[in-house]
Amino acid sequence: MGDEYPTLFRSEQMSLVQLIVPTEVAHDTIAELGELGNVQFKDLNPNVNPFQRSFVGEIRRIDEMARRVRFFASQIEKEKEPIPIRPLYDSAPLVTVGPRAAQTIDELDVKLAEHEARLTQMNESYQLLSERLRELVEARHVLRETAVFFEQAATRETEVRNSLDDSSAPLLQHDDREQQYSSGELQFDLEFVAGTIDRARLSTFERVLWRVLRGNLYMNYIDIQEPFVDPATGAETRKNVFIIFAHGDILLGKIRKVAESMGATIYPIDVNADKRADSMREVTGRLEDLQIVLYNTGASRRTELTTIGESLASWQDVVAKEKLIYETLNLLNYDVRRKTLLAEGWCPTRDIPQIQLALRHATEESGTNVPPILHELRTNRTPPTFHRTSKFTEGFQTIMDAYGIATYQEVNPGLFAVITFPFLFAVMFGDIGHGFIIFFAALSMILFERKLGKADLGEIFGTFFFGRYIILLMGVFSIYTGFLYNDIFSKSLHLFHSGWDFPEQHGNETVVGASNGHTYPFGIDPAWHGAENGLLFTNSYKMKMSIVLGVIHMTFAVCLQVPNHIRFKRYSDIYTNFIPQMIFLQSIFGYLVICIIYKWTVDWSKASTQPPSLLNMLIGMVLSPGQVEPETQLYPGQSTVQIILLLLAGVCVPWLLITKPYLQYQEMKRVQGQGYIGLGADDAPRLTDDTTLEGEEEGNGRAIAEANDEEHEQHDFSEVVVHQVIHTIEFCLGCVSHTASYLRLWALSLAHAQLSEVLWNMTLANVLGMPGLVGIVALVIVGVLWLVLTISILCVMEGLSAFLHALRLHWVEANSKHYEAGGYQFVPLSFARLNEKQ
Amino acid sequence: MEALLFNVSGGFLEGIVRGYKAGLLTQNQYNNLTQCETIEDFRTQLSATDYGNFLANEPLPISTSTISDKATQLLVDQFNYLRSNSVEPLNKFLEYMTYAYMIDNVILIITGTLHGRNTNELLQRCHPLGIFDTMPALCVATNVEELYHTVLVETPLAPYFRDSVTAADLDDLNIEIIRNTLYKAYLEDFDAFCHSIGGPTADIMHRILAFEADRRALNITINSFGTQLSKEQRAKLFPTIGRLFPEGNNALARADDIDQVRQACEAIAEYRAFFESGPGARANGNGSGVGSESTANLLGDLGVSDELGAAAELEDRFFVHEVHLNKLAFLQQFQYAVFYSYIKLKEQEIRSVTWIAECIAQNARDRIHDFIPTF
Repeated sequence: MGDEYPTLFRSEQMSLVQLIVPTEVAHDTIAELGELGNVQFKDLNPNVNPFQRSFVGEIRRIDEMARRVRFFASQIEKEKEPIPIRPLYDSAPLVTVGPRAAQTIDELDVKLAEHEARLTQMNESYQLLSERLRELVEARHVLRETAVFFEQAATRETEVRNSLDDSSAPLLQHDDREQQYSSGELQFDLEFVAGTIDRARLSTFERVLWRVLRGNLYMNYIDIQEPFVDPATGAETRKNVFIIFAHGDILLGKIRKVAESMGATIYPIDVNADKRADSMREVTGRLEDLQIVLYNTGASRRTELTTIGESLASWQDVVAKEKLIYETLNLLNYDVRRKTLLAEGWCPTRDIPQIQLALRHATEESGTNVPPILHELRTNRTPPTFHRTSKFTEGFQTIMDAYGIATYQEVNPGLFAVITFPFLFAVMFGDIGHGFIIFFAALSMILFERKLGKADLGEIFGTFFFGRYIILLMGVFSIYTGFLYNDIFSKSLHLFHSGWDFPEQHGNETVVGASNGHTYPFGIDPAWHGAENGLLFTNSYKMKMSIVLGVIHMTFAVCLQVPNHIRFKRYSDIYTNFIPQMIFLQSIFGYLVICIIYKWTVDWSKASTQPPSLLNMLIGMVLSPGQVEPETQLYPGQSTVQIILLLLAGVCVPWLLITKPYLQYQEMKRVQGQGYIGLGADDAPRLTDDTTLEGEEEGNGRAIAEANDEEHEQHDFSEVVVHQVIHTIEFCLGCVSHTASYLRLWALSLAHAQLSEVLWNMTLANVLGMPGLVGIVALVIVGVLWLVLTISILCVMEGLSAFLHALRLHWVEANSKHYEAGGYQFVPLSFARLNEKQ
Repeated sequence: MEALLFNVSGGFLEGIVRGYKAGLLTQNQYNNLTQCETIEDFRTQLSATDYGNFLANEPLPISTSTISDKATQLLVDQFNYLRSNSVEPLNKFLEYMTYAYMIDNVILIITGTLHGRNTNELLQRCHPLGIFDTMPALCVATNVEELYHTVLVETPLAPYFRDSVTAADLDDLNIEIIRNTLYKAYLEDFDAFCHSIGGPTADIMHRILAFEADRRALNITINSFGTQLSKEQRAKLFPTIGRLFPEGNNALARADDIDQVRQACEAIAEYRAFFESGPGARANGNGSGVGSESTANLLGDLGVSDELGAAAELEDRFFVHEVHLNKLAFLQQFQYAVFYSYIKLKEQEIRSVTWIAECIAQNARDRIHDFIPTF
């Protein structure tokens, strides 16, 4: 069984394997298995605290390394000019297996620590320097702005003086001038405080000062245009220069204190203009020096980061892998006495040779000659479900996994969804044009698959990209159903000779088409397009088609029970469940389908009666059995057939309801009659098939994690009864409601067709006939509008809605007929998955 | 009635806060934490809880103050999230909660300035929830008058200050008086506000605030023994919303020693338990499995004098009772007290976590179990 070629029909056969790994090859073994990616390890010490496990020390060390790598990554990210990070596939692989593994890790650890120390130091000095630079820049601003202020004040002073001086006597002019000069000097003896403060705090600062000094101050402030950037965080702050005049040492002291506590920086400014100019020169000079130093520091820091960027990707990879390896090692059982690790896990049976190969490879790599031992365990636990998917089937399988993970070895509806899903979608989305649009969209995604696969696509587009193969098939099937409906952007194609002739039309009169004996070979005759009863015709056609498709789909789903019953050796279920369900479904709804097809074959224009309504027929069949009005009769002998069918369906209900519980009861009686009592699953003897293990001490040859965490299902009789009652009710009611539910195929396809027709009529139809230049311009504008609306509304929105309904038809209508979905996913240890997560 | 309309504006946040509450450490997790050998173990253990990777990017070795800071930062982030998503009256309610931190910060800065500490250092030690714009300017003030007119006048604390503070100079005693007066006014105001919200919020908040008030009254009384504080002054500092009010308060005002305090509390069964048992039997008094030694000075931030061992022990019991009351708040829906309780419980949790970390760091394993568990 194990070498059966893997199919999607059933989940893969799994084996519980036990690995006995010598400690020295443990790391390499796990690394190798991680690369291979098909073993799911079980936690063998669930009762041990995470930090009491064997490899906590290593994990902690790896964590520390991971922190450093994250630190580098964030530093590189913060850099304004992007620093190239060499991609993983381009960088030299860092070998962490083999005899030198430990050394490599040690070296890496040291290297990371060194880089971190260097980078931190550089950051610090850079920060220090930029801090000093910032102070100098601020000082320069303060000097410049206060200079402006003093100059203004000086001129104003003279103006004031002059205006006052006008009336004074010319004799005193000389004195006055002298006095004025000195008083000007005196004026600026007014004490002041100058500095810079964060703009956001300015108003608070001013308010507090005003209250502290009770208004005894004169404050002036000017914005500094350029923002200051914090080198560490990259945050921008905007600052203001302020200058405050006040009297008295106490007040000035208070101002200084408030300013300091509010985070302002105060700069000593001299009153004397010359001294100010001096300090300005000094500041500028120092600023230039500092800028050079800062530039050099920045450059060397950048070089350091570039060096880091070279190998950052491989470090990230190694660190992530190592962490995963040690976390996995922690799941294993550590036998100190024998220096071995005991691992248990699930793997696909057909991969065991591969795993053994990997184990041998790991042994060779690590240079020891003690190979890990692998052997299969026999177990009565349910293995995880594993469907081997390709990139094509992955999307479809995901749709079904979203409903529920298949029970181990159950028939997998994901396989059939590959065809049924796009087909049911297309029934609702039938339009050649729209089909082509989504087909090409999917095709382009597939052609650029490699490129797109690497890029981060965002959540929304990523989802579409993931389902590209689904979309591709949906497109293909939509084109097919589009041909069936003969619909291309709500127009129809005249591919073949129409089966109807129309006499020439005069004015607005209605003309009646006459059949010319042709049959349109494929799809709907284009003559129906635009016919007055066209909608009536397509409605009736699509409605009946939906029912037919629905009954076929459900019948198929019911049939899928059979392989399950056979595989799980529940043969009695075939006649307690499958057969009555089938009869019930077919005798009512199968009959309806046959009637639909029969009605299509009858030429009602030549028949003696009017075409009967099939809906009324079905209602009448159940409500008044045996009575068929002659004028609504479909075929002779109808009432007898219907009574028989109804009786058949009626019999099926108690059949479904009673037989299974009864058989179960019989079984129980028999077992008890033979004097057996049910044993707990744990007491059942478990023999390993490996006889060499017999000599081993107890515990080692058995699955360790197997003990009592899975309760065996109790075969309680009342439970079986209740379950069967629910099942019966669900099925019988479900048949009716599910059949009706398939009418959504009709409704959605009708809505789609009507919507695209409305769009055409409201946009392009109006401008197609327009003559001259205006016509061309209008055609271009409206054409673009039409195209945009077609893609956004008809393809994307309508497509999503049709997708949703197709999804529902699979999940509810089909899956409920056979799918148990009681399994759990196989999650192997895999480095490939790790990359996906990142 | 509140069941009908509460969820319109408060439902989302109540859901959020109950989610937060579910993330509080459980007894089991505390047990795991206490088994840690090193701070690194401690970090690994915490990363399995709701704290997640909050310490992952810290370079080793991690100091306990970093743990405390980071944990407080988490709390502050959560609080700010709640606050920015809230509408009236919850918004106002949450704002009221910050006033308590403001009072603490104001007192911290004034005391610090008085003892000549560096302002920046003081600002860093302030609780982030109680920071307001003009706070740094507090250090300028040299007397109460100035304090009020320069800074506090534009803060929400102004009304509390205006009516109650008459003391002229700033010294240690006066600062304590200011703190307690502010607190008294604050508690009474908060209680009145909760009363105006009505419904279960008022009921539950009154219960919690009443205990808070009584706790303060008891603390004031016990701490004022042997100080210059006159009995009349003392009586003025007692909040008037507690369960001890008015008879108990009057008795406390007259009390001269711890026995008289005990007698004042006789009337209320829960409070009687605080004083009942000696150091040995105290654990069963409140049924929360606290260890046997007093930890109040390391745990508490209320600056209780450690002269009285009994007082310190009392402080622990107060915390336990507070946790108990706060836990009760989660039993009722459609009320705002859960927000208050969550923040208080989370604070207690941070205190406990810090305590455990401190014990691990200082290798004082025998006292590691003296934290106060929340859930």
